[in-house]
Amino acid sequence: MPCKEPPPEPSIPQRSRLATRLLPGGTEPDPRFTLANERTFLAWIRTALAFLAGGIAVEAFTAALLSDAVRTVLTVLLLVAGSVIAWGAVARWLSVERSLRHGRPLSLPLIAPLLGTACGAAATILVLVVIAN
Amino acid sequence: MATSGPRHHDPGLQPERTVLSWTRTLAALVTVSLLFVRWYTQQGALALLPAALATATAVTIHLTQRRRYRRTVDGIVVERVRDAAGPVLATAAVCVLLGAAGLWVVVDGA
Repeated sequence: MPCKEPPPEPSIPQRSRLATRLLPGGTEPDPRFTLANERTFLAWIRTALAFLAGGIAVEAFTAALLSDAVRTVLTVLLLVAGSVIAWGAVARWLSVERSLRHGRPLSLPLIAPLLGTACGAAATILVLVVIAN
Repeated sequence: MATSGPRHHDPGLQPERTVLSWTRTLAALVTVSLLFVRWYTQQGALALLPAALATATAVTIHLTQRRRYRRTVDGIVVERVRDAAGPVLATAAVCVLLGAAGLWVVVDGA
């Protein structure tokens, strides 16, 4: 019966210089929490990209439905919201990673109410415009 | 299929879910890239720059997926994974740049 060699044990990863500078001190958290944080960050980034896509779509496709001014306002609102969400996603990722490293409770997610506000504002503008036409 | 490296025993399938999360982000970037290309008919060649950035980022994610999977599997096995500070910052920077490019094209064309 051939005996297979077990695969070599992977080595403990070294932290990158960037990570050490941004997230100093503390202890290494459970890898499952770090990975969950990474996935949450990516979920927010996809939300940001959806807002960018919405902004581009409004600019490209609604020329017949909306006046130039309204269309520009809506586009800018959506594009800015997308960028803000991307910023917020990084800030949240850093904040959560720091809290994980130092065993502190996680802070409130601020981009959730911000997102709600942006969505509400854009939807309200659109409803008012459609009613007015 | 030849297996290489350690198998992880995480029932939560964290490595798979993390890699999948990056794949979904890649798909969102491709969508945004195509929408920027749609702008080409109205805005000209200017619209192709952000499209190229989004596509290049998507390709980079794709090319690093295998290494990412290996990193996360190793991380589960040794109970310690490196936080992905570089990719996180780079992805967010790309998003902000795409938003800025969009704003520039809109303001420039208005």
